[in-house]
Amino acid sequence: SSQLSSLPLQILFYVNGIYYIFYFLVTLAMIVYKSQVFSYPDDFLAPDLAVLFLMAILEVPRLYLGCKGNLTEEEAPLGLSLGVTVGSVVLCVYLLAWQTYVLWADVVLNAVLLCAYGLESGLKVMAIAAFVS
Amino acid sequence: PADTRGAAQKRACSAPAAVTDVARLCVCDLLVAQCDANCCCDPDCSPEEFSLFTTCSVPVVVGDSHLCRQKAAVYSLDVEANPPERIFQLIDQVSPSIFCIHATNYKQALYLRCPEMPTPENFDRLLNEFGSAAFSAEPEGWNVDTEAPNPPDANETHSYQYGAPVQTEDAFLRLPSPVVSSWCSDANPAGFLVNQATKCIRSVSVERCESIQGLSMLFYINSSILAVPKSSQMVNVTVQSIVVQSLDGRRTLLEGGDVLKLPLALGELCLNIVLGVSYHITYTDTGAIVEAAAAFVLGAITKEALSVQQSFQISFTQVNTKPVPLSGNPGYVVGLPVRAGFRPQGYPFLAEFLTNKHSQLTILQSTPSQDCLAAQGARAPVLFGYNMISGCKLRITAAMKCQPLAQTLLDVLKGQSFPEYVASFGNSQAQDVLDWVPITHLHSSEQRLPNPSQSSCQVPVSLGIEVKWTKYGSLVNPQARIVNVTATLSTTTLKQLPSGRERIIPVTSSVVFTDISSPAEPGYKAWPTINIKLPFDFFYPFV
Repeated sequence: SSQLSSLPLQILFYVNGIYYIFYFLVTLAMIVYKSQVFSYPDDFLAPDLAVLFLMAILEVPRLYLGCKGNLTEEEAPLGLSLGVTVGSVVLCVYLLAWQTYVLWADVVLNAVLLCAYGLESGLKVMAIAAFVS
Repeated sequence: PADTRGAAQKRACSAPAAVTDVARLCVCDLLVAQCDANCCCDPDCSPEEFSLFTTCSVPVVVGDSHLCRQKAAVYSLDVEANPPERIFQLIDQVSPSIFCIHATNYKQALYLRCPEMPTPENFDRLLNEFGSAAFSAEPEGWNVDTEAPNPPDANETHSYQYGAPVQTEDAFLRLPSPVVSSWCSDANPAGFLVNQATKCIRSVSVERCESIQGLSMLFYINSSILAVPKSSQMVNVTVQSIVVQSLDGRRTLLEGGDVLKLPLALGELCLNIVLGVSYHITYTDTGAIVEAAAAFVLGAITKEALSVQQSFQISFTQVNTKPVPLSGNPGYVVGLPVRAGFRPQGYPFLAEFLTNKHSQLTILQSTPSQDCLAAQGARAPVLFGYNMISGCKLRITAAMKCQPLAQTLLDVLKGQSFPEYVASFGNSQAQDVLDWVPITHLHSSEQRLPNPSQSSCQVPVSLGIEVKWTKYGSLVNPQARIVNVTATLSTTTLKQLPSGRERIIPVTSSVVFTDISSPAEPGYKAWPTINIKLPFDFFYPFV
């Protein structure tokens, strides 16, 4: 077939978008909960919040570039999206392991997000390979 | 696991290291080197002692329950075995909550941290950070504001509030009182409308008696009192009276006592030392002070005296009123005198009672000599709630006539003005007739001889006043209210004595307070009822 765009990748982008909104709200709420229940001084709270908001800011161009690249079958935006994904993965690992308080729910949410990123990255590489050749 | 990560972090902590191993923690181990009863985690207990326990007071020792996985030490008693033995298990407790802490990168999250020890270098910083009004170097509010930041309120009439310090020209009206120890502190301000009486000790010496400020009259009257706070209207403190106390304690009122007498050192004595000051402040109902007077007690000290006790008192009276001391508000307070009064004769419709400051119910006061005739006039006030009994002995000779003797005894028992009415509440006003309880008089006579034809001499020998009171008002704050006062006079027959013989009869008077309050029932407000009624013509077209 002449369609090179990857359907699974597109589905994954869509699901990722919805999941990320849910993930962002839940993680923010849990940070608020932690600051009330546990001792959470300001100089530990600020980095955690900064990482979360930075990840949210990065997610928008990442998903947009990925969708655009996949649908127009161009490898440049897709490659750029892959690069931003690396940054998002680093931030996700921070929230998984290096946060001030890592709750069990944090572990679950971040693990799911990491799996999604990993799968996306694999599909992006395959799509780029398909477009280039 | 989070607990091992934070275990070793006591670097420069001067507090003892925290025990975090649950196997070694025991909350009920209070006695050192002895076995605590029913404490299964006590290491000092031997298996024989464990077999005597009935339960384990501390069944589980666990760390922070927020952690997802943590070790728990479980102690239990196996009562089936013979003898009963203690079972100790170290288990891994898993928290089921999804918000349990899986890991933490903040070392001080799970353990109390060592507080910073104050040193001379960091003391100021710590004081600024943690010191508050209670622990600051400069007490706020002691500086009198001389900037006058509110010019538009210049004509606003301030007034003293209850408890506000009475201001004088320089600072506050001082009422020296003992602060921490019994030594006088001159920095205690007198509060407006706060009647106070204090006693404190001041150190003196004859050499310096003229220079010690607190011993001179001038110290107490030289600064004038401000009529209202922050105003320029001054009220001078006048000297009302001076009582001079001699070295043996005798007091005499000084004639022309409004002259200032300063301490005078005369050889081995120092005269005109202030031993007591009594301030009387008159105020208006708008909270302004109009008059201030001070009554002094001056004394003398000898060379050996190292300290002298001074007593100070302040009382406030409203202008144009005559204060009547209340015995409670509204219920009687135990220990305060029972108020009583008379109804003016011939004016049954006049609803005023004559009560003056001395209108109290009084009882005969026992004297050391115990002689009724010598003790005439000595009476003690009846204090609410205090049962009293007193008496004296009367020596009767043959020459005494019956009728004057009976009258004398009646005077001794009842006093000069035995009141007719007693106040039902501690604050009953003279105008409220219904708040006053009449005193019922009962007469009981002891008939020795069955035939009354013989000229019998009945003399009163005992007066018993029974005051019945009840608790009145709410369940949580009951007020004492006098309901009934009965004065029972008992008389006895005196036989005519043969001449030359004497007889001594005891005369007693007593006051008894009986509580006749009925048991209280708590009452609850009725549920409000919903009262819905449709208007008369609600179903107009159909009805």
